[in-house]
Amino acid sequence: MTALLQVDGLAVSYGRISALRDVSLQVNAGEIVAIVGPNGAGKSTLLASIAGLARPAAGSIRFRGDSIAGQPLERTVRRGIALVPEGRHVFGGLTVLENLRLGATIRGDRAAVAAEIAQYMALFPILSERRNEPAGQLSGGEQQMLVIARGMLSDPALLMLDEPSLGLAPRIIDQVYALIETVRQRGVTVLVVEQNADRALRTADRIYVLNAGAVRLSGASVDLRGKPEFEAAYFGIWPEGVRP
Amino acid sequence: MNTLVQFAVDALSLGGLYALTALGIGLIFSVMRLANFAHAELVTCAAYALFALSAHPLVMAVAGSVLVAVALAVLTERLAFRTLRAADPTTMMIASFTVSMLIQKILIFALGSRPKSLDPVPVLSQAVWIGPAQVSLLKLVTIAVCAVLLLALTLFLRRTSFGLQMRAAAENFTMARLTGVRANAVIVVAFALSGVLAAVVALLFAAQTGFVQPRLGVPLMITAFVATVIGGMGSLTGAAIGGVLVGVVTTLLQVFLPPDLRPFREAFLFALVILALLVKPNGLFPARGLKERI
Repeated sequence: MTALLQVDGLAVSYGRISALRDVSLQVNAGEIVAIVGPNGAGKSTLLASIAGLARPAAGSIRFRGDSIAGQPLERTVRRGIALVPEGRHVFGGLTVLENLRLGATIRGDRAAVAAEIAQYMALFPILSERRNEPAGQLSGGEQQMLVIARGMLSDPALLMLDEPSLGLAPRIIDQVYALIETVRQRGVTVLVVEQNADRALRTADRIYVLNAGAVRLSGASVDLRGKPEFEAAYFGIWPEGVRP
Repeated sequence: MNTLVQFAVDALSLGGLYALTALGIGLIFSVMRLANFAHAELVTCAAYALFALSAHPLVMAVAGSVLVAVALAVLTERLAFRTLRAADPTTMMIASFTVSMLIQKILIFALGSRPKSLDPVPVLSQAVWIGPAQVSLLKLVTIAVCAVLLLALTLFLRRTSFGLQMRAAAENFTMARLTGVRANAVIVVAFALSGVLAAVVALLFAAQTGFVQPRLGVPLMITAFVATVIGGMGSLTGAAIGGVLVGVVTTLLQVFLPPDLRPFREAFLFALVILALLVKPNGLFPARGLKERI
């Protein structure tokens, strides 16, 4: 498989606090890869470093073979990486339609953008119904759909999602993950950070378990499902005789 | 009736000038969280440019004045504020004071501190009649120019792709960059626009005062800054409405204060501002997502 994203020996610190230590991972084109782990494991920091929000202290990040570590955010987007950060972050004062148009800032093909916006509106009729309303008035689930669609409108090769199910009702989570599957079917590679390990195991092709800033375990979802090593790595508890 | 028309013209022309100045300050604050006190010097330098070009046709003088204000605004961003973007707002505010003082002192050193007589558009000094009321043509033109500029700025922000990017950046700069909005471009355009607004204010204000001196823009900037606070820091709508409101209240105070208290008009104005902020601490139109940028 072709490595679309390759992270090697990544270390990130916030002052004297080490958030990531010697993290390495690979995301291949066309995959859904999940990063799971408890609160404070460093999952969001990992996505932030890839997107250009956090500057690595050591290690390399390569996208399509090019080094992107420490690049400005907007350049990362132009290279084909879109980040949908935790907490949704719609532009609440802009309308739903303006939020979507903003997603296509880096694109010049107006007709194609308009057609894509129409597709997302057809996929989520509520976005069409409320197209001229401030996005801040949408429900949590609707906002999540909006930010994923907004991320997709930059026409990325890699879509990174940080905790897309956080704070959503189970029915809405199903819809969000159905959308993620649709995204993959469109040929976009997905890197998703998820606290819900069960959901990650069901959706992703491969999993990285992050705990206390380091990768504790990785492998294909089918291989990790139901394994005690997975739980141990996730919770940082190592039953007797089991060590990652 | 006469008094009412004159009051309306006075209030709107003064409010318009405050609104344009407040918008110049608000544009920078919204994308950078920088309270740019050096905006006063953009107005002052633009007025000096008008003075320097006063022998030339008005169009050329105005174009030169706009050019000077835009160049100075962009230059201050590039030389003073760009490296401080990651600094906390207090540091940036102190830097803007420093830039303001530096430009003032350079102006005094180069041109002297004495006011220089300036009447950029003499034809506007005549009076016109609106029904039974006699009003200043300059004030009517001021109202018209302010209205046109406010409308143009609104259309730019609402109808253009760059305007959309600026509004997004004003709401959440980091998130805007995550959608591909170029930080440098948005900030430079915000500074350039604030320069254009400052040049227009310089033309109208110098025409009203009839002179230019190194601190010309300072009182205007201070009152406009108050207007942005009243309107809600970071909110462009708030800055415009705050400006007009401060103009109306200032004119009301001028009309209703007893003559011996009129010299203290600003003291009454700022007392009212404090009262307003006690009721609405975040201003009339609080901006969304007021958090640190970049």
